[in-house]
Amino acid sequence: MTISAAEASEQVRRKDIRDRWLLSAPALILIAVAGVGPLLIVVLYSFLAPGNYGDVKWQFSTDAWFSVLFTRDIFDDTLSIADAHLSIFWRSIKLAIATTGLCVAFGFPTAYFIATRPSHNRQIWLFLITIPFWTNMLIRAFAIQEVIRNEGIVNTLLMKLGLIAAPIPMMFSDFAILLGMTYVFLPLMVLPLYASIEKLDFRLIEAAYDLYASRWNVLFRVIVPLVKPGLIAGAILVFIPALSSYVIPRVLGGGKNLMIGNLIELQFGQGRNWPLGASLSVTLVIIVLVAMLYYVKNASKSGGAHG
Amino acid sequence: MHQQPAGTTRGGDIDMQNVVKDFGHFRAVDNVSLKIASNEFFTLLGPSGCGKTTLLRMLAGFEMPTGGKILLDKADISLLPPNRRPINTVFQNYALFPHMTVAENIGFGLKMLGRPKAEIEKVTQDMLRLVQLEARGKHLVTQLSGGQQQRVALARALAPQPKVLLLDEPLSALDLKLRKSMQIELKRLQMETGITFVFVTHDQEEALTMSDRIAVMSEGKVRQVGAPDAIYDRPADRFVADFIGETNFLAADVVSVNGNVARVRLASGKEIAARFAEGTQPSGKVTVVIRPEHARAAAVSAEADLKGTIQTIVYLGTDTHIHAVLEDGTHFTVRQQNSRSGPCGFSTGEQIGIHMSDDVAQILRD
Ligand SMILES: Nc1ncnc2c1ncn2[C@@H]1O[C@H](COP(=O)(O)OP(=O)(O)OP(=O)(O)O)[C@@H](O)[C@H]1O
Ligand SMILES: [Mg+2]
Repeated sequence: MTISAAEASEQVRRKDIRDRWLLSAPALILIAVAGVGPLLIVVLYSFLAPGNYGDVKWQFSTDAWFSVLFTRDIFDDTLSIADAHLSIFWRSIKLAIATTGLCVAFGFPTAYFIATRPSHNRQIWLFLITIPFWTNMLIRAFAIQEVIRNEGIVNTLLMKLGLIAAPIPMMFSDFAILLGMTYVFLPLMVLPLYASIEKLDFRLIEAAYDLYASRWNVLFRVIVPLVKPGLIAGAILVFIPALSSYVIPRVLGGGKNLMIGNLIELQFGQGRNWPLGASLSVTLVIIVLVAMLYYVKNASKSGGAHG
Repeated sequence: MHQQPAGTTRGGDIDMQNVVKDFGHFRAVDNVSLKIASNEFFTLLGPSGCGKTTLLRMLAGFEMPTGGKILLDKADISLLPPNRRPINTVFQNYALFPHMTVAENIGFGLKMLGRPKAEIEKVTQDMLRLVQLEARGKHLVTQLSGGQQQRVALARALAPQPKVLLLDEPLSALDLKLRKSMQIELKRLQMETGITFVFVTHDQEEALTMSDRIAVMSEGKVRQVGAPDAIYDRPADRFVADFIGETNFLAADVVSVNGNVARVRLASGKEIAARFAEGTQPSGKVTVVIRPEHARAAAVSAEADLKGTIQTIVYLGTDTHIHAVLEDGTHFTVRQQNSRSGPCGFSTGEQIGIHMSDDVAQILRD
């Protein structure tokens, strides 16, 4: 049997498409089962009514979504903005942004330092950077607590040296949360930044110097634009877990300094309001999504003509 | 520092005094003293690893000399950082900023100098025209071919009107044809701008065709400085003679010295005239050098200066190289121009006589 060239190429094309689907099937299935599935369940729960002892009642309700933003007065039914929720959201966003900023501030010099070591030493430095990953985040949070609590290492030392008379209270504050999150998420900033800086062509820095650039200009007109992919990756990797952080604010922030993660946990635990927990979760996802879209769009826009 | 208006640029003159550079225990540049005049096209030539790049990097300010001084227009610049020297570099691999357009690359230096926008704009356009890339100003440099990137690198380095332009093997990545045309282009630019060019290459032909003067380097030292013809015709030592062009080395005995010409006896027993460097007094056993194109092959005869057997014949288009072994075992190459009637007319294994016109041999200083 003979087939025309057009038919043959059509067959090849179809086979190509089939192969492509087959090859990506495992990944697609994983995304569907582990990613999209649970998310859909969360969205579904957010439109149900709370059960009496946790769980959900299978009836449609928008109450949960309503109470993300508003509270109904128990006595006269008047509506008011849910200040508590909004302030927790706002605090979380501020803390996540501050953490990202601190991680850049500490992570960039660190990554630059490692990337400019002789290549056999770099492995050792990278290894050291990843060591904190080996222990559970809870343990690390308690370790920080051990450093900064009133009877902790820092206060004891300062008092022994006679620099302070009474311990400086550092626990259960935004400072404690920021310190903890920066410590915990720093490697997530250093590693992608390192990967970018390591690929940087250092002759470009010489070229900039040669063309009369000051140190400042070399940094902001040449180095930063060129390591931007690493900076973006690092910022995303830090911002997202920082925003939904749960363990750190729980241990270091105490009961008063909640973040979104703690608020959500509260709904599934003591609050016994799963739909509210679910709708808060979805809200968090939406915030992250909007932030990322905005960020990536801005980053790519200023990509070519930075500075 | 860069106050001169366009068009009146005058290159700076460089005075390197006993410059030394050590990397740990390794001496990369060894006591180099060079004076480079303003507006000169000066070339550093030498084999790989001889310290050319290191010397150039000290001129640019990327390396600080371990010893000695570098003066620019009589002022000591040895310790100034690169961004304070009115010297720009064309890097071997161009080192263009990949995140900027062609125009942004070219304007970078002026922008860093804080020049007004209008001036940057104008100079950038002038430079784009100079390197014939008018239409490419808005392109990203990554979208250009190698030759075009080379020209952007050149324009970028020229835009701030430096007093000295340093070029580290700027043509080595280009194919032969492009390289030839860029050689002419560079020479033209140097003459038009009047900027002092310090050019690094390990290609001796490139050095000979482009330079006003050449410094031949080896192992961190300058072996000889001079105009291309001086270097080629009167190599100072064996290294230079060997490195520049092809050379025949012959052992000889000095018979007599008359003025600045000596008579030397070759191993064949024949005597020929040979020049020697001023201030030297050749005697006894010496080495003479004879360029292949200064010898001529002919049928064996009593008049021939040397006799040999042809080992290989290499056809080169315009010329033919005849590699022969002399009676005493020395190798000798003759370069003959090919005529219309074809190559030399000899064949491998044949006996030939080699003739030299007077005054072509040169006694090497030892
Ligand atoms: N930063 C450095 N540390 C140690 N040694 C160096 C350094 N830079 C150069 N060298 C050594 O100094 C010598 C001269 O190097 P340089 O790069 O100046 O040579 P070059 O003449 O430019 O050679 P090429 O033609 O291969 O570019 C080399 O042996 C090199 O290994
Ligand atoms: Mg070099």
